[in-house]
Amino acid sequence: MSSSPPDAVSAVLARGRLGTFAVVFFVIAAAAPLTVVAGGATTGYAVTGVVGIPVSYLVVAAVLALFSVGYVAMSRRIVNAGAFYTYVTRGLGKPAGVATALIAVVGYNAMQIGLYGGFGAVLAAYLDGRGWHTTWWLCALAGWAVVSVLGVLRIDLNGVVLAGMLVAEVVIALVYDVVMVSHPAGGTVTFDTLAPSHILAAGIGAALVTAITGFVGFEGTTVFAEETKDPKRTVPRATYVAVAITGLLYGGSAWAMSVATGPDKIVDAASTDGTDLIFNLVSPHLAQSIITAGRILFITSLFAALLSFHHTVARYLFALGRERVLPAVLGRTSRRTGAPKWGSITQSTLALAVIFAYAFVDADPIVHLFFWVTVTGGLGVLILMTVTSAAVVAFFARAQNTDGPWRTILAPILATAALGTILTVTISQFDTLLGVEPASQLRWLFPAAYGVAALIGLVWALVLRSSRPDVYQVIGLGADAATAAQHVSDPVHQPA
Amino acid sequence: MVITPSGADDRPTMHVLPEPMLDLAHVRVRSGPHKPELLADEFFMLAHDDQSGRPRLPHSSITFGLAAALLAELGSARWIHFERGDLTILDRRAPDDWLQHQVLAQLIASPQHTATRTWLAYLAATSYDLVAKRLLQAGMVRPVPYRRMFKTVTVYEPTDMNVAAWSWARLVGSLRDLEPLDTFDLALAGIAREVRLDQWILQGTSHASTAYLRQLLAEAPPPMRDLLAALNAAIGNAVMSHRT
Repeated sequence: MSSSPPDAVSAVLARGRLGTFAVVFFVIAAAAPLTVVAGGATTGYAVTGVVGIPVSYLVVAAVLALFSVGYVAMSRRIVNAGAFYTYVTRGLGKPAGVATALIAVVGYNAMQIGLYGGFGAVLAAYLDGRGWHTTWWLCALAGWAVVSVLGVLRIDLNGVVLAGMLVAEVVIALVYDVVMVSHPAGGTVTFDTLAPSHILAAGIGAALVTAITGFVGFEGTTVFAEETKDPKRTVPRATYVAVAITGLLYGGSAWAMSVATGPDKIVDAASTDGTDLIFNLVSPHLAQSIITAGRILFITSLFAALLSFHHTVARYLFALGRERVLPAVLGRTSRRTGAPKWGSITQSTLALAVIFAYAFVDADPIVHLFFWVTVTGGLGVLILMTVTSAAVVAFFARAQNTDGPWRTILAPILATAALGTILTVTISQFDTLLGVEPASQLRWLFPAAYGVAALIGLVWALVLRSSRPDVYQVIGLGADAATAAQHVSDPVHQPA
Repeated sequence: MVITPSGADDRPTMHVLPEPMLDLAHVRVRSGPHKPELLADEFFMLAHDDQSGRPRLPHSSITFGLAAALLAELGSARWIHFERGDLTILDRRAPDDWLQHQVLAQLIASPQHTATRTWLAYLAATSYDLVAKRLLQAGMVRPVPYRRMFKTVTVYEPTDMNVAAWSWARLVGSLRDLEPLDTFDLALAGIAREVRLDQWILQGTSHASTAYLRQLLAEAPPPMRDLLAALNAAIGNAVMSHRT
């Protein structure tokens, strides 16, 4: 970072940079609040049968805030602080970095593809209510077609549109929360589902990873670091604000639902009503138009999340293609639109295959696709966060330390321990998460995908080290890989 | 949702050696309408349709390409040097060309910024208008209002299609016949490749031409490769951080 006074060059480069709230918007919008509240939390209750979902959101928010302390401190020290795997490369070495990158590709793909189940089922149910009979997979395919085209054309949701949708979603969720809490089951508001004792209850791993799934946009804060007005202040502030807002909103909404049904009946109600639960709970007390608005926003929120994760995967593949860790063709852009075309097409092809497979075997779109696959994505993100947190510890163990022991030693170690614990509990309780028998093979199949991805990444990195040292050398540099062959100069992002 | 201006011309088939072009390329014109001297002007022509002046690339790719071409103009005349991702000023005397002069003056005025990437990003903010102005003054283009979906933009229509297409004809002729490129054409082809214009330039040629260009650029002078690597990173980062 340059310490020069503001000058013409820096002033021009600072134009159009993001402030705290812009970053917060992008991060929260990536997870799409109504998708989490109406889809994730309700299905989480139903599938896991765990009542501690609300407290899980709060616990996860606290752990992520702790994780952010060291993560943000490290983001200031490394060039091209982008995706999680950059941190892992710098902290734990290049083989670990490639393994993490592949875990990220699998995880974000799972997240995106699982959302098609939610989108298809919710849209089909909505259309069904209006007399248009269709199937979930037709709706999912329609969504897929639009996302695929927008992906190749490099059309993202406009910042203003995204912000408008986000505000509307948050307002709707808050209105519903107020209505649910003011109409408690049995006439009394209880705080049972927020009790910390749930943390020790059986199946809490499932609840915690469900909660993690709601925070997947989190990686975004430091991805935006190069584009923020003042990375030193904007990024930490945006990270904490985003974690606090989402944690309170998700935890509060999940709690409000349990108040409206009664804590003892929330699991049954969620099983019966599915993603309709929140709308069914508030519909007796609100005008029909507000319910319809909520349902439509739920669908648009799912769509926004689909598009956002599609772009995330396409850019991940693009960055890895530029580094030549993955085939170089993935690092090419389209001449006409400048889109990371092959990254986008690869993601779309994969999604199409999964939608067809689910339609073919007639699996349940909400439980088997939306919930199973997105929480598997959530597990991937949890692994990413845990490994990244360990990388932060390792990085500061070697780096010159000027940030003080809290930021560089204590917080990262505590966060790694907390995330590691959640990860261990989650994997050991994956049967609860999927709602299958403890003896089921499935409980190992989903987590094993990450083991395979990590192993391939490790082996591939070692192959690159011996066969293509030029490629090995630039691992972790993403789009900057081309300049690294000579020497990476730290471009001025901002006058400090 | 806002449609990203694709900015691309919708008639690529026009350029698969249409009749007049075919003749031009066929006889491999060794002396063209003019001897190009200003790299940014030629890249501007290459990046736009030779008839309508409509862009062949996304706007941001053109602006980064022009920024690189402006720096390359100064680099080829030894005013500046590119090494290890940084640029250094070798000669502080003012160039004759006003735009080169202006760019060099900016480089001199902000010595604290040395990263080529930083300068590419900075120059990209103004490169389009400045190069268009230089072309206007030379009488090579004329401004024409062009109505797009929601707004009217100015396109710069070439005054002489043969002049506008000359760089393309020269490049495709040399690359097709696997002939050597001079430094000017090599830089032009290099910038074109980084912004993905090579696909369009080379369409209709054999795979050998693509491989030949890759080989020429791999053997290009180190400062040129350094500048092109910085352009590659700038374009890549623009993709990573793209939002509408």
